[in-house]
Amino acid sequence: MTKNILVIQRTAPYGSSLAREGIDYVLTSAAYDQNISLLFLGDGVFQLLGKQDSKGIQLKNQLSALEVLPLYDIENLYLTEEDLAERNLSKEQLGLSVNIISRNDVHTLIAKQDHVMGF
Amino acid sequence: MNVSLLILSEPYSSQSSLSALKYAKAAIEAGHGITRVFFYNNGVHTGSSIQTPQQDEINVQQEWKSLALEHKLDLVICIAAALKRGNLTLDEANRYDREQYNIEAPFELSGLGQLLDAQLNSDQMITFA
Amino acid sequence: MQSDLTFDKEGFLTSLELWDENVASSIAEKEGIQLTKEHFDVIYLLRDFYQKHEVAPANRPLVKLVKTQISEDKGNSIYLMTLFPESPAKIGAKIAGLPKPPNCL
Repeated sequence: MTKNILVIQRTAPYGSSLAREGIDYVLTSAAYDQNISLLFLGDGVFQLLGKQDSKGIQLKNQLSALEVLPLYDIENLYLTEEDLAERNLSKEQLGLSVNIISRNDVHTLIAKQDHVMGF
Repeated sequence: MNVSLLILSEPYSSQSSLSALKYAKAAIEAGHGITRVFFYNNGVHTGSSIQTPQQDEINVQQEWKSLALEHKLDLVICIAAALKRGNLTLDEANRYDREQYNIEAPFELSGLGQLLDAQLNSDQMITFA
Repeated sequence: MQSDLTFDKEGFLTSLELWDENVASSIAEKEGIQLTKEHFDVIYLLRDFYQKHEVAPANRPLVKLVKTQISEDKGNSIYLMTLFPESPAKIGAKIAGLPKPPNCL
């Protein structure tokens, strides 16, 4: 049975391992035929920044991992325009195409889900 | 109601590790079922049987162990996250040629699929980050 | 086979930087597989993918990848199972000299 699952990514990509292990969970779950959406909330938007180079800190590139999502049939990526603006970021700086929604619409997105989990 | 717990935080470093334990006890007391307790990210340190807190401190591994034995809880630690952080069962120690192991029943190591399975088979999953 | 090659207990190469086609052939031989050009098409696809994304693809994404990068008619799990029996993602990664795909434990 396919369920709607929203995974909320709340942390910047490299300060802790949560962002990476969150994506590991998403990629694993995708193999079980679930309808997974991703919301990059708060500092989570930094995971989507283009031109990431993490070689110098010996960590895997988060954007490169996120790029595989379409291949795993995960197409619904979201972030809020407020989170971008508060961090002085524009959508041109993002390395992936995402749905930009208003913070007011987050509850609608959450209401559509069977399960929500946050990393 | 059936709940599952996702524990992401380390014992002794974070209040949420203790909150998870208290939540599990309260849920059981209130008559709810616990489908699974899944340890991921830094939460994988919870199951180490060689954690040695001072005698006037709570032993988080022991607390989970006795709760699990009393109420037949399913305690699952993410295997990939556990191995890299040095939390191994005897089987995994043998598989990877390691001389030590520190994870024992009722804790078990398994894949992330078990987290999804817990989520799909619970009414609620509560995350302790 | 070179003597400085190292493997884990399941036969996955641990000295990743020493992979070459000969290494691939000898890993494949242990799996009972004789490598052909068709195998190497998938093997190099896996290696390119890993180099770019630092993750070895699971079975279903691998099928999709083969479909888009090699050819439409080869992008199905039956074809991949004939090349790499049981689990194309796992056996393919093993022969391609990639780390074990996560959760294939």
